[in-house]
Amino acid sequence: MPRSAWKGPFFVALPGLRQALTQNIPVRTNARACTIIPSFVGLKFQIHNGKDYVPLTVTDEMVGHKLGEFAPTRKRFSYRQTKNR
Amino acid sequence: MLHLLGVNLPDQKLVQYALPLFYGIGQRASVKILAALAIHKTCKISDLSETQVNQLSSLLSDMTIESDLRKEVRANIMHHRTIGSYVGRRHAMGLPVRGQNTRNNAKTARRLNGRWLKAERKEYSSSVRSIIPPPESPFESFFNRKWF
Repeated sequence: MPRSAWKGPFFVALPGLRQALTQNIPVRTNARACTIIPSFVGLKFQIHNGKDYVPLTVTDEMVGHKLGEFAPTRKRFSYRQTKNR
Repeated sequence: MLHLLGVNLPDQKLVQYALPLFYGIGQRASVKILAALAIHKTCKISDLSETQVNQLSSLLSDMTIESDLRKEVRANIMHHRTIGSYVGRRHAMGLPVRGQNTRNNAKTARRLNGRWLKAERKEYSSSVRSIIPPPESPFESFFNRKWF
């Protein structure tokens, strides 16, 4: 079920957005649940995936999605013969 | 046999059970269509009058079914794939998209997810293959070999 329209999109007030827009500095954030709103387009983000920060440049197609959708949290399983490597 | 919008509806079937032969019409939509056109439940395809058939075809042509719906579904998946979201990745890997377990089975996802993407890739590779000349057969290579 989608979120009620009267609430508007969920987003977190990210510090230093204006500065990021003018100086092209990536915004480092842990707010994965933050919706990408149209004013984010063109910004660079670094989204936490639980371990490190995944870079992302926002395009206008991404509006309406959450930041976390673009930072995968799980690693693909790959078989290793020995544990120590 | 009634031919409607590229789908063959067998004469001996009840209308209610023939309509789900369209991609995009299920039992519920079928019952609703019957109600909208005032067709009774035990009516067979062969019993439909000319006007009813016309009404039916005009109603169906307004709905997004068959190739239109397929296109829409495909476009939705391709949207996720192009922006590189989690959903798009899962589709590309042929794994469940909505958090289902993958320790066992995940058979439906393996069967269905990534169909469009794979089809696209196949088209691409076949188009590439047509440009590259086919490798010569062992017979030819035997003759073309430089012996000395």
